[in-house]
Amino acid sequence: MATQIPANLKYTKEHEWALIEGDTVTIGITDFAQSALGDIVFVEVPDVGSEITQGSTFGVVESIKSVSDLYAPITGTVLEKNSEVEGSPEKINEGSYEAWLIKVKIKNPQELSSLLSAADYQNFCQSQG
Amino acid sequence: MSGLRTSLYQKHVDLKSKIVDFAGWDMPVQYTSVKEEVLAVRQGAGVFDVSHMGEFFVEGPEAETFVDHLVTNNIIEAPIGKAIYSPLCRENGTVIDDLIVYKLAPARILICVNASNIDKDFNWMKSQVKNFNVKLTNQSADYSLLALQGPKSESILKSIIKSLPELEYYSVAPSQWQDQSYILARTGYTGEDGYEIFGNHQMISKLWDELMKQGVTPCGLAARDVLRLEVGYPLYGHELNDEITPLDAALAWTVKLNKKSFIGLEALKDYKPRFKTVKFILEKGIPREGYPVLNEAGEEIGTVTSGTMSVVLNKGVAMARVKLDKFNSQQNFFIGIRQNTYTATYTTKAFVQGGHK
Repeated sequence: MATQIPANLKYTKEHEWALIEGDTVTIGITDFAQSALGDIVFVEVPDVGSEITQGSTFGVVESIKSVSDLYAPITGTVLEKNSEVEGSPEKINEGSYEAWLIKVKIKNPQELSSLLSAADYQNFCQSQG
Repeated sequence: MSGLRTSLYQKHVDLKSKIVDFAGWDMPVQYTSVKEEVLAVRQGAGVFDVSHMGEFFVEGPEAETFVDHLVTNNIIEAPIGKAIYSPLCRENGTVIDDLIVYKLAPARILICVNASNIDKDFNWMKSQVKNFNVKLTNQSADYSLLALQGPKSESILKSIIKSLPELEYYSVAPSQWQDQSYILARTGYTGEDGYEIFGNHQMISKLWDELMKQGVTPCGLAARDVLRLEVGYPLYGHELNDEITPLDAALAWTVKLNKKSFIGLEALKDYKPRFKTVKFILEKGIPREGYPVLNEAGEEIGTVTSGTMSVVLNKGVAMARVKLDKFNSQQNFFIGIRQNTYTATYTTKAFVQGGHK
């Protein structure tokens, strides 16, 4: 089954997606990531007001058998976290682009240029087998 | 570079399972979903390809006395047709492996060992044969092994093998299916009723196909690990290793100190355990191997040896090795998970009560 990669989003090589709207970024994990993880049973994301830094870990997703770090696509301040997904992590398996994790206020807009386009991310996923 | 492959490898690939390296073998870790596979075994039937495990045969007039001398559990007193779980220890009492002894006949015993320990076990056993009148052979390459597990195992297997021997839990019988010899055991490592079927590659391949036709769920190593952990069974390399004795690992019930002799008896008779292997349930957080176990004072008293999210309980569960002199069951315990600590409830019962008879 081909992995879904919406064209309107930006991506990281660690399989996060980012929806950029003005100075806010909504962050989640990609379909490729949820499929690789399997049944997701636990999500830990930072509280509102926390700072996250591009390229650094900001939380974890856990499947029954594994723990995976989440990497920040962008530096900024957490504006909102999706408590519905924290309470029902399986929503990420059901639709990883609907089940966003956090919304962040962008600190350095120039960081956005380092994110992958949908086409770049698709090539990257293919190279990962 | 590819690893070792079982005779069913291509079937796992065709089923689009996720293949990982396990003890040098390319093994299916999951087919569809770990959760679905675990629930299939708890509620219906699931099948595991465990052909990577080792099969040794001990044959000859002194087969029973030799195996009884090798392992800590009692083999002599068990009747023919019984399966017996036991640690295998060195003279100093440390654990080489844990295994299952199948008493096929007075002069024929099958020993099934962990895949990761085949060479270590075989070399050790061979060095212990000495003057015993037995022939010890490693026939691992000639056998494939399926574990059919779950409450529906019996009815499904009977529908395929009409002549299926009637067996009690933890017993074994050599049998025949379509002119092929095989060994049927009512054993497994999931806590559920079920069978382990040892046969030649061709016969096992045919049986696998029949089980698939009956709608049995193929299950991978991930589900197998969750299932054994939910019922509190130890796994070598986690709860057991070369450095500790069975008495450090909640396996005193398998060490028969009243036996006249066995390798490790002298050491284990006087041994004061250093560790206790215990179980914890977490309401929040998922414990993983290597996470620290803390007491009320924040002192680290041990380490998680296996941890997972229990599919049945939907809670984090862990087995942990704690220092015996630091352990007080009346205390409150915590498990350190990343930068936080989570309350861990000590329990002496299995997390999940398996349905085996």
